[in-house]
Amino acid sequence: MSNVSQPALGSKLRNINFGFDRFSGLYIWGLFIVVFAIWVPDSFFDLDTAQGLASEKSIIVLIALALMIPLAAGAYDLSVGATTNISAVVVAKLQTDAGWPMWNAIAMAVGTGALIGIINGFVVVKLKVNSFIATLAMASVIASAIIIITGQRQPIPPMDKPWLNLTQYEVFGFQSVALIVLAFAFIFWWFMQHTPPGRFIYAVGGNPEAARLSGVKVGKWTWVSLIISGTTCGVAGVLYASLIGVSLTFGGSLLLPAFAAVFLGSTQFLPGRFNVWGTVLAVLVLATGVKGLQLATGQQWLESMFNGVALVAAVSFAVWRQNRSKARARSKELAGRETK
Amino acid sequence: MSGSLNQEGQAASRPALSATHLSKAFGGILALNDVSLEINASEVHALLGENGSGKSTFIKILSGYHRPEDGGEVLINGEKLTFASPTSTYDLGCRFVHQDLGLISTSSILDNLYFNAGFPTRLGTIQGRSARKRAAVDLEKVGLSIDPRQLVANLTPSMRTGVAIARALLNDESSHVRLLVLDEPTATLPQNEVESLLNIVRTTAQSGVAVLYVTHRLDEVFQIADNITVLRDGSKVATTPTSSLDRRELINLLVGTEFEDIHVESQNLHSEHGADVLTVENLISGPLDRVGFSARPGDVVGFAGITGSGRESVLGATFGATPRDGGTVVIAGATIPPRKPANSMAAGMAYLPPDRKVSGGFMDSSARDNVTISNIQKFWRGFNINRKAENREVAQWFSELGVRPSGAIALPLFGFSGGNQQKVLFAKWLSRTPKVLLLDEPTQGVDVGAKAELHRRLLKAASDGAAVIISSSDVDELAAVCHRVYVMRDGHIVKQLDGSALTVANITRECLGSQEEKSE
Repeated sequence: MSNVSQPALGSKLRNINFGFDRFSGLYIWGLFIVVFAIWVPDSFFDLDTAQGLASEKSIIVLIALALMIPLAAGAYDLSVGATTNISAVVVAKLQTDAGWPMWNAIAMAVGTGALIGIINGFVVVKLKVNSFIATLAMASVIASAIIIITGQRQPIPPMDKPWLNLTQYEVFGFQSVALIVLAFAFIFWWFMQHTPPGRFIYAVGGNPEAARLSGVKVGKWTWVSLIISGTTCGVAGVLYASLIGVSLTFGGSLLLPAFAAVFLGSTQFLPGRFNVWGTVLAVLVLATGVKGLQLATGQQWLESMFNGVALVAAVSFAVWRQNRSKARARSKELAGRETK
Repeated sequence: MSGSLNQEGQAASRPALSATHLSKAFGGILALNDVSLEINASEVHALLGENGSGKSTFIKILSGYHRPEDGGEVLINGEKLTFASPTSTYDLGCRFVHQDLGLISTSSILDNLYFNAGFPTRLGTIQGRSARKRAAVDLEKVGLSIDPRQLVANLTPSMRTGVAIARALLNDESSHVRLLVLDEPTATLPQNEVESLLNIVRTTAQSGVAVLYVTHRLDEVFQIADNITVLRDGSKVATTPTSSLDRRELINLLVGTEFEDIHVESQNLHSEHGADVLTVENLISGPLDRVGFSARPGDVVGFAGITGSGRESVLGATFGATPRDGGTVVIAGATIPPRKPANSMAAGMAYLPPDRKVSGGFMDSSARDNVTISNIQKFWRGFNINRKAENREVAQWFSELGVRPSGAIALPLFGFSGGNQQKVLFAKWLSRTPKVLLLDEPTQGVDVGAKAELHRRLLKAASDGAAVIISSSDVDELAAVCHRVYVMRDGHIVKQLDGSALTVANITRECLGSQEEKSE
């Protein structure tokens, strides 16, 4: 029976240990920085590298955050990449070809993302199609829609100052896109950790039946999570178009890095739970690792390889940790259980 | 059967199962106390006993799950069983069919039969025709003549059980089936299906297999069993041929003759009753057939009944957890729409589901999140959730209910023992101060200390003015805490017990009563 006091003891120990279980990502990040600073000191330990990395990865962070919300509610959104893509197409085309004012075009692009979220939610909640299937199909539909809208011609975003300044205005050497995404991260963190809807979304993802019996409207919050995800991808598309430009197919390559980041993030800070700062940290760790290796070896295939391996490693690590702590809890319960 | 080991020639006279001096203690409490049992080939032997009598423990020893205390021995057809070894159990020829049959309903009978045992194949391809032929033979053994290509989903419940039995009886080269254990096979079967299942069991026994038949339904015991063993409080009360007993004698063996005068705590509650706060009329849902009851503030009302009686469905249908096909539920004048838990809660109902792992709790979330999920708006202060107030309230519930480890409000729910998990879920609903508190199996899998604490709390809720409705398979619990108990059988309330008639023995008697008695 002595192990009943284990959790209390554990939390006491946590105060003096180095938090390897919850903050391993920070250590790995530090390790990457040190290793590459020694390995390729000239190119890696360069402020430009850090700033370039920050803006380049900001958009991945935003898409990963978008994806995190439905995942927390237990629903997949495989259309995040495609939604980002169509939003970028819309915002560019409306300005250049239709001559819309910038902010109207942005509103339309974000609205397109929201509409996709609403349709995803309808298919998942009302038609009861598995979210994996529904959003995979949606990604395919969006890909066609992009071709219809553009007639296969790559839209050229405007080149005027306000449009470029949206993401490339420099603040302390960092581009404004990083600050916008940081602001989004704070809003998402506040929403998920400090408001009742955040609790409801986690509850739906944790155990939908228990959530329903607790008075949580499972369908509503699943739907809301998909709308948030679509809308956020609408924003991500606008930022992408302003920062990098538009192609007809860039969206597909954003999906896997986002997934890898969210799952890797679920092993950090609040283990076992998809969370904002874990996700942000995961993007940074992955990006630093990839960048360093690229600088050191010059290989271009590293990024996909790194993300793929990291996704599998993150998920297997999370499963292993969960099983371990559950096994502990079970053996404790068996020891103290009454006879049946 | 002494010296059976050197009587190789008399294999036929060896008992299929010979268990001697089996005991099992959990934490110093004897769940099984020196039980011996013998079953011959082709015999159907009924094992009877109330919940907690030691039946499950006995079966779990046979199945290799528990290891009995030293001194116990089990021989299967004369060969000694290695304890706590499921493979030894299987190799010696013991097979188990549980209430949850473990069939895949979207697959065919054929696939279900051979998923485990293996299909007849040539070069890795399943040989359809010979597989079907073999399946027909295997189904014939349990008296089923059905096309093995049918989907399990399309079968009647008794046929499904038959398929599960046929699968259990599949012989492989290494072991010959000696003993079949059926754990409450009829619990969830409709009355008209029971007869066909009993035929399946008879056919099985005639093929030379010994059958250990565990049930709560006395009618079928008299129809099928050759011998009966009754367990009570972990000890064997009797083993007798079925023909030597009548129904009343059997009930007396089950219930015991001594009067268990448990202190009826609820009778000391003085509640200023007044008008009904909950009225349920003509409730139709699952097995329930026009069930009606009501409760006043301060009442503690119990529902008793064996599995399949409808007792398990009453509270879920009342709350709206499960669909309702008819009937009305009225709380304090407001009619509650079916299948809308949020509306039921808004009207003042609270519902503790029977299975905390599946539908009660968020096992991966902290205890705090579990307590406040259905009441989180209370802590919203315009911009964020007031964590301090939230933590304070949860900590208060922790100390009030004596949750261990104390103060661990951030620990995930799976880190608590069963009793403490249940306390956390109690806190969740009590914190809403409901008008009507529905508790389904409130103390299942909970240790004795936690049980007393939970009982004390639910009585306090009643004395504070809530109507408390308990559905429980634990008859002692119902007798101990309820003002009155409704006994259910076949989807109806057949008896209301209160006052001095509210005893463990009476509840059990009524639960086990048969159709015929009711019409007499």
